[in-house]
Amino acid sequence: MVSRMNNILLLEDLPEIRAWLKSLVLQVFPHARITECSRVQDALLQVQSLRFDLALCDLGLPDGSGTDVVAKLRDVQPDAQSVVVTIHDDDEHLFPALQAGAYGYILKEQSRELITEQLQRISQGEPPLSPSIARKVIKYFASQNQPQANAMPAVSLTERESEVLLRVAKGFTLPEIGVQLGLSRHTIADYVKQIYRKLNVSSRAEAALEAQRLGLFRR
Amino acid sequence: MLRGLEGRAPDSPPITGQVHPAQSPPMSWLSLPAGFRHPTRQRLWRALAALRLLLLAWLLAGPGGAVLAQPAGVVRVLDQARMLPGLARPEADWAGAPLVALPDAWAVSRPAQRGVVTYRLALTMPAGEPDGNRLYGLYVERACSVMAAQLNGQTVHEGGRFTEPVSRQCHRPQLVALPAALLRPGDNVLDLQVRGYALAEVSSRQRAGGLSAVEFGPWDAMAAHHARRLVFATRLPEVLSGALVLMGSFMFVMGWFNRAQSYLAYFGALMVSWSLLLARLWATDLPFANATTETGLAALMAFVTLAAVQFLMRYAKHRRRWLDLALPLQCLLMPATLLALGPQRLYLAAGAWYVLLSLQVLVAASFYLVQARRHRSRQFWTMAALLGVVSVSLLVELIAMGWNLDSRWLHVAQLVPALAFLALGLRLMQQYGRAFQTAEQNRAELEVRIREATAQIERNFAQLSELKVEQVTDRERKRIAADLHDDLGAKLLTIVHTSDDQRISTLAREALEEMRLSVRGLTGKPVKLNDALGDWRAEVVSRLSQSGVQGEWSAPPDEEVPQTLSSRAYVQTTRILREAVSNIIKHSGASQCSVRCTIDNGDFQLVVQDNGKGIPTELDGRLDKGHGMASMKGRAKQLQGQCLVESSPGYGTVIRLTLPLERHTTPR
Repeated sequence: MVSRMNNILLLEDLPEIRAWLKSLVLQVFPHARITECSRVQDALLQVQSLRFDLALCDLGLPDGSGTDVVAKLRDVQPDAQSVVVTIHDDDEHLFPALQAGAYGYILKEQSRELITEQLQRISQGEPPLSPSIARKVIKYFASQNQPQANAMPAVSLTERESEVLLRVAKGFTLPEIGVQLGLSRHTIADYVKQIYRKLNVSSRAEAALEAQRLGLFRR
Repeated sequence: MLRGLEGRAPDSPPITGQVHPAQSPPMSWLSLPAGFRHPTRQRLWRALAALRLLLLAWLLAGPGGAVLAQPAGVVRVLDQARMLPGLARPEADWAGAPLVALPDAWAVSRPAQRGVVTYRLALTMPAGEPDGNRLYGLYVERACSVMAAQLNGQTVHEGGRFTEPVSRQCHRPQLVALPAALLRPGDNVLDLQVRGYALAEVSSRQRAGGLSAVEFGPWDAMAAHHARRLVFATRLPEVLSGALVLMGSFMFVMGWFNRAQSYLAYFGALMVSWSLLLARLWATDLPFANATTETGLAALMAFVTLAAVQFLMRYAKHRRRWLDLALPLQCLLMPATLLALGPQRLYLAAGAWYVLLSLQVLVAASFYLVQARRHRSRQFWTMAALLGVVSVSLLVELIAMGWNLDSRWLHVAQLVPALAFLALGLRLMQQYGRAFQTAEQNRAELEVRIREATAQIERNFAQLSELKVEQVTDRERKRIAADLHDDLGAKLLTIVHTSDDQRISTLAREALEEMRLSVRGLTGKPVKLNDALGDWRAEVVSRLSQSGVQGEWSAPPDEEVPQTLSSRAYVQTTRILREAVSNIIKHSGASQCSVRCTIDNGDFQLVVQDNGKGIPTELDGRLDKGHGMASMKGRAKQLQGQCLVESSPGYGTVIRLTLPLERHTTPR
């Protein structure tokens, strides 16, 4: 499934990098209309007024974190795809963005060719999933499924999804896992998308519950 | 009965069998094992009390048996005498003197009689006596208050002072030695001078003037008899006085310093005052006139009552403020009334007071028992028994105020309370000791707990401060890392993507990676070798496949790789591997590449092999830069490892990276 990316949000504070990214995006999606923002507040306003197919969000911005924009976009335009474009390669920065609803991530210092390819893949429904992120996801769902006092809405991974995650964590690429499990590349990609979705749903439920609990405490 | 033949002992107990004293104790002991069968403390105490009473009973029964044990010889009881008031001269007219029966109690026969009276007893020696080789003895059970004796005009005994302060020997049996030389065959004249007081002048009937029947017989028989009676009349009271004073003072001091146990102080006072009371039985020569001594003795009863009532109330945990005032007032009031009424009405006044005081004690005792019963006190039965015994003794003493009683009853009544007090004293001491022990134990436990708590607090504090330091350090590291990323990282990134010069762009990217390495060193946590292998595999395999090189990866299974890598080792190894793969993709022209990871002898080995064209040796120096071999080797050296490159043109390249694991694993 190849999505048509007509409206694209580009959130990046460094002008040179923003220009460079813009040229790169235009290379992948030549007919796209690109809305450029350098601040979180601008991006949030744009998200309210314009409809986007794709959003490329930097994380560390002068007035906040791109994660907020990702979360907002997930709320108001669930169909839009958010991709984090960042200099941070560690899960501590990436995982919250994925929880907020980001659909993938791209590391900025990579070569133009690599980023182009990744962008293409994401837009084609094949989000990347690194072993370290996969391990973090496994840990997250394991802690969610522990019998705890809080009545979490049961969002849990299927056996297949867990299998895929475990193999990703071991360092196998998605095509390899497809071969190992006797599944098509698209099916594996779907699993990954499911995992992203469930991570987001579960995180939102958790956040809601946390907010509720804090509210109860404050009362 | 044998006794009948030998003469009548006036005070022999009414036992009908001929029981040797040595035979009676075993009978007494027989009842004891019942108490020891269940060796609880309660029973032990009861058994001890029973044992004491039995011992007393046996000692009292003793004199009866002693009569049987005495050596052969006739004991005569002289129970008639002529009597003249005053110190009778030998030439006095005895013919007109009245004949009185002994014992002669002045209180009954001559209530107004006081001063000195002379009794003349006829002592007729049977045929064959006196035996010149023998010593004879005269046993006088009671001559109150003091007695002197003359045999055939010769003074043979002087009991003490006849003038004030008159010796007080009412409670003490007397023994007079009569040498055979002074005894004539046939009739002898025995004059006994007695100085005594009228009943009205004393506070107890036992100390009103009088003379008991007199026994005459062989010295040893009389001496034995006297010794036995003396035990009860004087010796035991002396011993008990001493014991009561010692224990009483001790308890008084203990109670004084532990106000919570003030009943101990009152009990101590009770014991001490009771020992003073006992002194009336053995103290014969006091430096006071009779009136003073008797008033003092009577007044002492008020103090005894105070101590007893206060003890009982406080032991029952019912302190009454008005009693604290009323009882001392009574202690003053009683001697005041006695003095006001004068020495001539001492007996009446003291008797009335005794009844009143006894009632107070009885009421207090009943109150205590009711309270103890209500609170289901474990002391109830012990205390009930002790108080019962003491009450009965009091009753006996009260009766003795009005009527003449057998002296043995009186001995029991005088000694039993003292014994009961000693028993109760021991019991209280035991309780106190146990309470003290418990308190001490609790204190020790508390101390241990406090020590533990202190240690815990100190531990917690240490942990907390450690945590705090860690938190602060962590926060600071994160801040530095964020700054590096935001400022330096952004600028380097700009150079990477905007520079037209490929070399500068590559340098900037390398600088960016170096910065990452530093940041990771700052914030990075140790990485499980297993996870690291996963990361490396994903990167290597995907990069090779993207470049159309067939990749092959082999690594030991998870369970063989429990080690962790420091973040520095992880990052450096990642760089080396990345460089190696980049070389293969860019320069080697290989179609196949295999990466083998092994752990051997604590060394981690990574072998990257390709089937490319290898590194041309003649161009080594120039190509090195592009291939980054030097930086790979440098990184390996930093990790105390080594990186070997084997290459020959046409045979591909083998890169062997060996890292000692111990230095780069972080112990978990």
